[in-house]
Amino acid sequence: MAADRNAALDYTRPIRRILIGGTVVFLLAIFLFWRIDSPRVERARAALIDRIVPGYDWAMAPVTKAADLIEGFQSYKRLAEQNQELRRELRQMKAWKEAALQLEQENAKLLDLNKVRLDPELTYVTGVVMADSGSPFRQSVLINVGARDGIIDGWATTDGLGLVGRISGVGQTTSRVILLTDPNSRVPVTIQPSGQRAVLAGDNSSAPLLDFVEDEDQVRPGDRVISSGDGGVFPAGLLVGHVALGRDQRLRVRLAAEYDRLEFLRVLRSHAGEVIADPGSLVAPEPAEAAKAPGTAQGPEAGDG
Amino acid sequence: MVDPLTLDRWAYRLLYVGLAAALVFVLILPLETRPNRLPGPDWMICLTFSWLQRRPDYLPPWLIASVFLMLDMLLMRPPGLLTALMLIAAEFLRARQQVSVETAFGAEWLLTTGVIATVFLAEGTMLALFAVPEADFARLTVEAVMTVLAYPLAVVVSRFGFAVRRVTPGDLDPRRLGR
Repeated sequence: MAADRNAALDYTRPIRRILIGGTVVFLLAIFLFWRIDSPRVERARAALIDRIVPGYDWAMAPVTKAADLIEGFQSYKRLAEQNQELRRELRQMKAWKEAALQLEQENAKLLDLNKVRLDPELTYVTGVVMADSGSPFRQSVLINVGARDGIIDGWATTDGLGLVGRISGVGQTTSRVILLTDPNSRVPVTIQPSGQRAVLAGDNSSAPLLDFVEDEDQVRPGDRVISSGDGGVFPAGLLVGHVALGRDQRLRVRLAAEYDRLEFLRVLRSHAGEVIADPGSLVAPEPAEAAKAPGTAQGPEAGDG
Repeated sequence: MVDPLTLDRWAYRLLYVGLAAALVFVLILPLETRPNRLPGPDWMICLTFSWLQRRPDYLPPWLIASVFLMLDMLLMRPPGLLTALMLIAAEFLRARQQVSVETAFGAEWLLTTGVIATVFLAEGTMLALFAVPEADFARLTVEAVMTVLAYPLAVVVSRFGFAVRRVTPGDLDPRRLGR
């Protein structure tokens, strides 16, 4: 009997080894393929998540609400303190409100004088945050609007106050928002009032880094940072946050969006700006055939890796 | 009539998949979206290693591979990398089982620490080699340490909570324990 078992072992062991070796090679091939052709794999991932995560929804809603409730109870403790703080803030805000109203009227008047029509296409779709990435190395959230609602890769997402991230990965009913804090996130920004261009680079910390600043001497902590619209990925002029000096003496941005509690997100419908590819036709119109070939608008890159 | 050992095995395999699903559920709850928290332990690695060193027949390689590949996809990790490393580590631990049936927990923890460290080191090296942006050795180190520290807890839970325990000579049934 013992001899029998040994014979069986001798026979199955090489097969087993080959099977496991084959699986390991296959898995590493998936990894390599993901590294080479990230968008394709990420699309597959989005489709998979789209299939699975909405199934968790029935369980997720009560848990999230319960956590909210606990947080609410905790905040009762410092109610009095908060009340004082809010009163103080309210007094300041009243002054600001006056200023804002005056400015709004002035702005309306000026816009009217100039016959400016604001872009009517900058509308938005609001989605609810369903899940986050679940990994400490990626910062992203899943929202419950997807291709069904007309969401397209690359659109900007805000929480009403400031920029939160951009869409990367769209499923039928869900889409993933890469947050500005994700190490893959790069967003072109402008620093006001100096007008410096920079790139906001996420690095897994709560305050993303300002990279490629032209002249750091002109940038001061507290300056406003808005999206610049460079590269045609984002609409220009969305508030991102304020410049702050990090503990490592590098320029960082304190984000305006409330990252500690992302619940509802607005996805801004933006349309790729038309690109004038042929300067000659501005001077002298070409024949009809040439004009028919559409200048391909430079679409936003879907990849994130 | 299904033979009780097969039934037992399949029940535990289902439990393993169920635990993985529950873990994903907890991890992707959007309770905290700020990034500056420390990474927690990887409970799935703890669970896999602790079961593997008690009842390797509960976790065949195909189960480990498919569960971890699913986790890779759902948790936005580089797909396939951790799965491949876990499969190799699992085979290593499985091969050590015949000699280490009688080991005390200290020795088991030490061996598992070595394996976990190797898995994380290999993952970090691969991510750095392929220039994946989320390669972050500091975070990976913290995660590895947390995982090592969490391992005894996972063992206690699987031993007393799920009754995953080593086969004693009394239960030995040579015809069926062959994997």
